[in-house]
Amino acid sequence: MRGSTLFVPGQTVIHHLHPVTKLVITFLCLVLAGTLPSLPWLLTCFVVLLLPLAAIGRILRPFLLRSFAVIAPFVISLSVIQGFFTPGQTPLFHLGSFIFTFEGWLAGLTVAARILLALGGALLLMLSTRPDRLMLALTERGMPGSLAYVVLTAIQIFPRFQERAQVIQEAQQARGLEIHVNIFRRLGLLVPLMGPLVLSSIMDTEERAMALEARAFSRPGRKTSLLLLEDSVWQRIARWTIMVAALGLIVLSFWLKFAR
Amino acid sequence: MIQIKGLTYFYPGQERPALQDIDLQIPSGQFCGVVGPNGAGKSTFCYALTGFVPHFFRGALQGEVKLGQISIADANLGKLAGEVGLVFQNPFNQISGARFTVREEIAFGLENLGLPRKIIERRVDETIDLIGLGELAERSPFALSGGQQQRVAIASVLAMQPKLLVLDEPTSQLDPQSTQDVFRILDKLAGRVGTTVVLVEQKLEWLAAFADRVIVLSHGHVSLDGQPQKILSDEKMEKFGIGQTQYSLAAAAAKKKKLVPKSRDFPITLKQAIEFFK
Amino acid sequence: MNDFRKEFTTFSVALIAVAIAINIGAGQIPRSVGLPLYLDSIGTVLVGVLVGPWAGALTGFLANTVWTVTGLFPQAIAWAGVAAIIGALAGAFGKAGWMKDWWRAGLAGLITGVVAAILSAPIAAYVFGGVTGNAGTDAIVAAWRAAGLDALFSNVAQGTMSDPLDKLVTYLIVWAVLMALPQRLKARFSGESVPAQKRSTPKKK
Repeated sequence: MRGSTLFVPGQTVIHHLHPVTKLVITFLCLVLAGTLPSLPWLLTCFVVLLLPLAAIGRILRPFLLRSFAVIAPFVISLSVIQGFFTPGQTPLFHLGSFIFTFEGWLAGLTVAARILLALGGALLLMLSTRPDRLMLALTERGMPGSLAYVVLTAIQIFPRFQERAQVIQEAQQARGLEIHVNIFRRLGLLVPLMGPLVLSSIMDTEERAMALEARAFSRPGRKTSLLLLEDSVWQRIARWTIMVAALGLIVLSFWLKFAR
Repeated sequence: MIQIKGLTYFYPGQERPALQDIDLQIPSGQFCGVVGPNGAGKSTFCYALTGFVPHFFRGALQGEVKLGQISIADANLGKLAGEVGLVFQNPFNQISGARFTVREEIAFGLENLGLPRKIIERRVDETIDLIGLGELAERSPFALSGGQQQRVAIASVLAMQPKLLVLDEPTSQLDPQSTQDVFRILDKLAGRVGTTVVLVEQKLEWLAAFADRVIVLSHGHVSLDGQPQKILSDEKMEKFGIGQTQYSLAAAAAKKKKLVPKSRDFPITLKQAIEFFK
Repeated sequence: MNDFRKEFTTFSVALIAVAIAINIGAGQIPRSVGLPLYLDSIGTVLVGVLVGPWAGALTGFLANTVWTVTGLFPQAIAWAGVAAIIGALAGAFGKAGWMKDWWRAGLAGLITGVVAAILSAPIAAYVFGGVTGNAGTDAIVAAWRAAGLDALFSNVAQGTMSDPLDKLVTYLIVWAVLMALPQRLKARFSGESVPAQKRSTPKKK
């Protein structure tokens, strides 16, 4: 693959888990992210649940790097905005007439931790699962094949569109941009720049659709698969257990909220 | 056996027909070349053989195209796919995009046909051997050159074992080396029993080497139809703006200069040219 | 519901995939012209207008899924619903014939932008604690918070500063593309959404 997905190839236990098992874990992380009460709980879950799985999957490094890359902007934005604008009692410093409070900051970090846990679960899935295996797992469970086709194809062909856009970009830069050009003129430039790219893409799509027809894409009837997904009784049991636990958590958190 | 009777076709919104009154029979297993100037209707002819005309392009179809017992006009494109195969010019557009390795890409059509896994595996392996894609089998189709992608496209269609394989200028976007590779594949097909091949090509020398028969299309009609030897050395080809093989041209010049007896037949292939000029 | 089935032909499915690739690929061009726009919904609007609301909605939804799955913009999935609505709206405008004039197309863009801003704001405010994770937009949100607006309205305010313009330009580009679409391709799509034009029919091989 041309590096246009998060997938890191490997032969570990985590890689061989059935995609739906990993989806269920992602769902669990989402539920935990939404229901756990405080920052320590959230961080503990992240460390105790996700890091060991990533380590077993030999994807600990990319997992940590990606998690950091995703969460860092949130930590900054949330610290600033919630630190200053969420009410709190303990002032840490001020900026003009705005007071940065500890409680506000904590609230911001808590939201960041929720995002970390939720996206961490998704990251674990994406790093250890090849997209076509994930799509196959879903189509086996009833998702239309066209959806799988769209996602997988979009993932594989977008780099080429980026390259074509790059060529257009460079040609534009070579022509030089007059800094004092009217904004309307700049907007007008967009049409001859992007128009041909979009237009030729539509025309190519006709051929693409013909190629699909030639591969029996629209044939009615059941489709089979060359790929075989591994599954086991234990995984099935684990999936049901986790789902029940997750749903139980949701019920519990609602009850706690509204039973006050 | 392909039967075409009175085939006339109008693309939607067009007043001039792209194909006019075509009557043809193509026996099973024949390797049939199709030539003609630009705008002659060669691509449309390919589409009519494979059902894209009228099902994909809509428009008005008159007459009849029958593939064995199947009437193309009444068939369903999805169901036709196992019986006919179409390969066209742009390699990139023929890579489905839904699979991550060449092996799986070739299997894609077979999966859509609902074949059992064991059969898919066997056919994919056979096709990879036939086309010579062994080294590329585990690579991503998007990491290949245009010529390699075109071979994958041919393989993907061939694996479905269609009764009729139509190729619409499959080498026009390829470099000379890749063109040779594709023609080497066609050479293997030419000997194969059971697959009817229709090849639209501008490279006349290649057609001369493989084709059992050449059809010349012009303005949507069949203008000439016969053995490659006769058609491709025919001076009338100039009238259709096609030109002749380079061997014929050289031979014509030689005849004019009286270097060679008038009675000798025009050569259309390299082998014949060597004989001619002895 | 018959329309639902009609929209998903092989061609439209292929177009959806290409449209998502356009969303991702074409987004960098505006910045090369020095415009602070994202234009990452061109494909979505295109499909909505050409094929219909259901296809447009699916394009938007899957586009955001792909943004997440590729790791290009992991939080995108949270706004998948909004993206779907943008696509559906495009379909509605297409069927209503608004793409026939450039000014109605532009107006459709403005309306879509406002709707998008209003619908995106609660997600930023309630799911992401009042931010989007993008430094530029969050700086603007912070400014609005400083001005006294609450989390929700700060995000609405930030949204209305950029989304309507972004969608306006998007719709205008789609309109221009429709104008230039060859007759034969136009025949694929329903008559109302695509502007009719007298063109000389192109020669075919």
